[in-house]
Amino acid sequence: MTTRARSIERKATGISILVALQALACAFFLTDLVGDIAAEGIGAHLIIEGMAAIALLIAVVLGALQVRSLIAAARRDETAVAVAQGALAELIRLRFAEWQLTAAEADVALFALKGCDIGEIAAMRGSAAGTVRAQLARVYAKASVDSHAGLIALFVEELILPQERC
Amino acid sequence: MNQTTSPARRRWDPIVRITHWSIALAVLANAVFTEEGSGLHIWVGYGLAAILGLRLLWGLVGPTEARFAAFWPSPRKAIAHLREIRAGEVTHHASHNPLGALMVYAIWACLLTIIATGIAMAGAPPWTGGERETEHHDTVIAAQNHQEEGEEEGHESEEGEDGEEGPLGEIHETAANLLYLLILLHLAGVIFETRRSGKQVLLAMAPLGR
Repeated sequence: MTTRARSIERKATGISILVALQALACAFFLTDLVGDIAAEGIGAHLIIEGMAAIALLIAVVLGALQVRSLIAAARRDETAVAVAQGALAELIRLRFAEWQLTAAEADVALFALKGCDIGEIAAMRGSAAGTVRAQLARVYAKASVDSHAGLIALFVEELILPQERC
Repeated sequence: MNQTTSPARRRWDPIVRITHWSIALAVLANAVFTEEGSGLHIWVGYGLAAILGLRLLWGLVGPTEARFAAFWPSPRKAIAHLREIRAGEVTHHASHNPLGALMVYAIWACLLTIIATGIAMAGAPPWTGGERETEHHDTVIAAQNHQEEGEEEGHESEEGEDGEEGPLGEIHETAANLLYLLILLHLAGVIFETRRSGKQVLLAMAPLGR
């Protein structure tokens, strides 16, 4: 999630460098143009050169606007994820309390929610796979679901808009 | 304006960072490395003008904290900020703090003065070796000759400037000296603010990394 915000940011940096280089090139063309006009007066060639310089100027402005919208997108993304994280953590806390999970069961259930399987949970908690299986079975019973997927679905379902329930 | 939403304070956006460091490099280059009045000096100056133009454009269209509206110069706020410093309170500012904002406008004013007088003295950029400028800009010729000869540096350029562009050259140099003073003050301010409210001040403008 943060990697996505990071990659948007990287993209914004890349375009920013592009915009800065375009600004440099644009200054080059515009001053060249002014010098040429001062020296030779306005001719067909210089009019075209001028239009090219103006096109570059427009590109600079559009590039800047593009960077702005990327930055705004990265920030919206960050805020949305933070809000959702906070809400989900709160929901998990409430449900676990409601189901009266013990501390060990809550721990195991949290790992299960994060997508760990029994072997991984056992390794992380330093307990036997059988113990974790039994703890998970009690969690499923207290939550009235019959599988790992069912447990996860309980939370996902509540985070999806209510009118879209099945 | 004083609120930041995320727990870790934000960095400046890429355009602000790129323009900041390009301008710093350009000023350093023209202050220390390039020869006054030389073609390269003028070129670097034009580049600086373009980058400053981009930053000013960004002040109109950029994200909130990069816009002029977020750090409008206000002596009253600056005084309030001073009082805060004396009282030892630290508030976070999403944009420049009020004193920093005054510094920003002071530096921009100096840069614009330097650019304006520089352009007035040099005319269009001298990439044709002076053939075009012969008709219009004697100074550029002086600069060109100077560049071509590449000997007896300091004296000649001073002569050339003083001889033909006296008042402009004076303004250009005075503004540049004022700019160096402002840069020293800026660095002092950054050091002070970093000690007062943390490393974030520095990290926010760091060119790379997070």
